[in-house]
Amino acid sequence: MRLSGDNIKKLCGVRNLSLNALLKRAGVSKTAYYHLIDKESVLPRSIDALAAALGVRSSALLEEADRKSRRALRLLETADRIAGSDPSMDRDNIRHTLLLLEEKPIERLRRSLLRARKPDLQ
Amino acid sequence: MPENLIFSKKEIAFLRELERQNVEFMLVGAAAAALQGAPVVTQDVDLWFEDLKDPGIQTALRKSGGIMVPSFGQNPPTFAGDAVKLFDIVLTMHGLESFAQEKKNSFTVRLGTVDVNVLNLDRIIASKEAIRRPKDLLVLPVLRDTLRTLSWKKMKDAAPKTLKGRKG
Repeated sequence: MRLSGDNIKKLCGVRNLSLNALLKRAGVSKTAYYHLIDKESVLPRSIDALAAALGVRSSALLEEADRKSRRALRLLETADRIAGSDPSMDRDNIRHTLLLLEEKPIERLRRSLLRARKPDLQ
Repeated sequence: MPENLIFSKKEIAFLRELERQNVEFMLVGAAAAALQGAPVVTQDVDLWFEDLKDPGIQTALRKSGGIMVPSFGQNPPTFAGDAVKLFDIVLTMHGLESFAQEKKNSFTVRLGTVDVNVLNLDRIIASKEAIRRPKDLLVLPVLRDTLRTLSWKKMKDAAPKTLKGRKG
């Protein structure tokens, strides 16, 4: 999976950013950027090998991480909206509640009980 | 089974026997709040019994190997024995109506192979607001935030979805 210089430039254009400004904002040196652009694949060789062995594109192996990240972002956005609707609420309470609501009730109880128990200290 | 991650076989046997004996009880307190999504921790599971003299309780205790220690002095009755030590007996929920009334404010949750009634979060909050022990006052803001989050989600889930990009 290659890094697309064209896509990056297009995205910069949409955001009215120069490539230099983007690299500065991201804390990525020009050397590192052009090194990545020149690479046949930005993924570790082992990921490409796994994908080849499975007969799928490397991106198919990355989907799960993307989905998790999108889910986490959606949850944070929801927490922000709820906190925005009532400033007296604690954002962490909202976030933890939303996280727990994604679990089954029995799992919520399990966490509640386990976290109250002291771990054995060695 | 997931229930085994929380309750031991003996604890499950006790709950199942209470169910089999038709003992009227429900989960209350922090464990009940946690089941509904409150990010709280607890060391025990509070069981509110309608009638502690219900013979079904003794049968369930006998079958699971637990005992009930009667109240003495300021100490309320408690369960003893591996099968039941996780559970705390609740006789009265301060600030609430009778058990029969409050049962209308509960819902059923299946914990593995056992169905248990759980008191609604707003009623747990009402009770903690009434009793006002220091530990209740500490957890109340968290419970209130959980209730508001649940209400917000319920309202959003109930709202009709708008169809983006469609005209007329």
